[in-house]
Amino acid sequence: MAKEYVAPVGEGIHAVRTGDWRTQRPVLDSSACRRCGLCLMYCPVNAVSRAEDGSFSIGLDYCKGCGICAAECTAHAITMVREARA
Amino acid sequence: MTVLDRLATSQDLISPGISACVGCNVELTLRTVLKVLGPNTVLAIPPGCMGGVGVVGWDKESGAKVPVFFPLLDNTASMLAGIKLGFKARGREVNVVAFAGDGATVDAGFQALSGAAERGDRIIYICYDNEGYMNTGYQRSSSTSKGSWTSTTPVSAEGRGGKSQHRKDFPLIMAMHDLPYVATASPAYIPDLVHKLERAMEVKEGLAYIHVYNPCLTGWGIKPEESIAVSRLSVQSRFFPLWEARGRKLRLTVRVDKPVPLKEYIGRIHKFRHLDEERIDELQKLAYERYRFVEEMERMGSESDGQAS
Amino acid sequence: MSRVEVINGNMAAALAARLSRPEVIAAYPITPQTPVVEYLTQFHADGALGCQMSEVESEHSAMSILTGASLTGVRCYTATSSQGLALMYEPYFRASTLRLPIVMNIVNREMISPQTVWGGPQDSLTLRDAGWIQLYVEDNQEILDTTIQAFKISEDPDVLLPINICYDGFYLSHMTERVEVPEQAEVDAFLPPYRSRHIILDPDQPMAVDPLTNGNLLMEYRRKHMAAQQSALAVIERVDSEYAAAFGRSWGGLVDQYRAEDAEYLIVSMGSVCGAIKEAVDTMRGRGVRIGLLKIRSLRPFPRKAVLAALEGKKGFGVIDRNVSFGTGTGILYQEVRAALYSAGARFPAASFIGGLGGEDLTLELVASALECTVETVKAGKTDEAARWLVRAKKGEGR
Repeated sequence: MAKEYVAPVGEGIHAVRTGDWRTQRPVLDSSACRRCGLCLMYCPVNAVSRAEDGSFSIGLDYCKGCGICAAECTAHAITMVREARA
Repeated sequence: MTVLDRLATSQDLISPGISACVGCNVELTLRTVLKVLGPNTVLAIPPGCMGGVGVVGWDKESGAKVPVFFPLLDNTASMLAGIKLGFKARGREVNVVAFAGDGATVDAGFQALSGAAERGDRIIYICYDNEGYMNTGYQRSSSTSKGSWTSTTPVSAEGRGGKSQHRKDFPLIMAMHDLPYVATASPAYIPDLVHKLERAMEVKEGLAYIHVYNPCLTGWGIKPEESIAVSRLSVQSRFFPLWEARGRKLRLTVRVDKPVPLKEYIGRIHKFRHLDEERIDELQKLAYERYRFVEEMERMGSESDGQAS
Repeated sequence: MSRVEVINGNMAAALAARLSRPEVIAAYPITPQTPVVEYLTQFHADGALGCQMSEVESEHSAMSILTGASLTGVRCYTATSSQGLALMYEPYFRASTLRLPIVMNIVNREMISPQTVWGGPQDSLTLRDAGWIQLYVEDNQEILDTTIQAFKISEDPDVLLPINICYDGFYLSHMTERVEVPEQAEVDAFLPPYRSRHIILDPDQPMAVDPLTNGNLLMEYRRKHMAAQQSALAVIERVDSEYAAAFGRSWGGLVDQYRAEDAEYLIVSMGSVCGAIKEAVDTMRGRGVRIGLLKIRSLRPFPRKAVLAALEGKKGFGVIDRNVSFGTGTGILYQEVRAALYSAGARFPAASFIGGLGGEDLTLELVASALECTVETVKAGKTDEAARWLVRAKKGEGR
């Protein structure tokens, strides 16, 4: 049951499932990845993360499929692939 | 620590799912800004794109992991000045930060910002300039560039029209308040933006101002995957110079000695498609004049006494 | 042990503010409020006022700064008049709907146009539906006492609303009177420090302030706000009693009455003109007319029950309005009183008067004529639907 407030405030986080939006998804070829980190720096939704061992991966929960990572990747290690019908 | 290390290990303090357009470089800018600022931050988001996409939240939920609020369109800097004074009254140090569109900054909110700047209110004010009131349907602002189609400066079927005045040089106007730190930034130059944020955070007294230039994908008509490439062209064509200033001592942080022809930038942007060669040349001339002005200021600053920054 | 000072209304307000220990002040000068800002900045420069002060560039920013500061949970104060109040309307409406207990003196001044700087409560009355508590006072002692009480009323957990203490420009702001000023220790004992428990911007407890809100939820907040205004009725009375117990002076709470108990006719009004009305009442009483004064102190929340109780058993009343309500033909207070009567099914013959606008004096002569006219109107069983205008006789013309 939501909290009662006297004045207009909000707590907790409202998250839209933006992963549901996309029509194409990024596919990262780890063997081609040079680990330059540009995809992480330029992903607008912060979907790219770097693991302890320095390898990169792209989370798909919120990825909108914009294609910036593929466009900026210096090694051309990311390809945008059309989402199949469910 | 490199910029990449910093961004790879800092917490993303904005909700993971906000309804910004696919590829929006303002979303990129906002997430980057909060990673650098950290959790000891109060964030002001006036009405505009970021508010509209849910950063302040909906009903009883928030859109950020730091305290965040909606100022009014015209009073962001004043509310933040008050918040800073409130914390000061109780002896606390908190980052007090605005993330405001050009509408809220160069138009309606200008008085409040100029007042805060003149008084020396210790806040960090970041403007994301997408050349218009984009969230409400792409209306013009005084930061919209000359010739732009906007919904309030539209273009006839024959290609006549578009905004008749060029954008005012707002970052330089802010620099004329003799502030401790003023800078311009671009989402295509993330390490440059991060360094500028760090310098803004180091300021002890007075207002720090950063003006980010964010080509708007939906409002200007740019392909999502070209979001960063087009932003890069805005800098590489000299259309938007990247500099920083302390007082009136200014220095370029990205020198553009061999500019890309402006029509390469213009050509990727739908809102300019009615511009003929003459109008593009005029815009290029305006851009070069402004870049030269910045170079002159840099020269004057380094002449007066030693280093520029 | 309080001391006696001889001071004007603006100084009374500034001293009350200083004694109440605000933590942030942001005020922009405007005639006739300007001396308040000057006194406060002088106190601050002298080290007698330990607060954060902002040299704002407009009233819009003054209220913006205070809504920001109040959101961090600190006590805030400001003052303004007419054009300044109009300019700050945008953040003013928000101060109440965000439930921020800001205290603001309004040095009542007529609204432009025509071009004017002189006294009258049109400025604050026009904004009576913006959700603030509004109290109107009659003299400088009342300014000081009520402004101190204002912090306690607004910060009460059942209220949590900003409050205006309104006093007539020039008539009170620039007029010198004898005022008893309490000691700091006495006021500290009366006013505990402010702590916000309902809304805050604090990295230690992150929350969103003012998310985009759908209509259903907005209506909930409005209901709570309306309920808080109703709760304020009892709080205003209680704080007046507590102040009387601590400082020896009561102003009546929601309303005050002068020679009204056994009266047959009542004059209803607010503000400094009540002084002249009391004089006129005494004169008519001297001739055997049973007339009295009902002085409205709280305009918002409107003290419906107190007004009904005061009018019970009376033959009728007259209202002297120092303001206009465009489109209704009468003044604002006249309508407010009549609306309150409707709920009790009570009907009285009543006279409506408008006078003293834009600094035009409401002389004893004019006030006396209003009292006479009220008695006549009530005796004739009439109820005014259009106001009678109290104007000076032109030279050479008879009245």
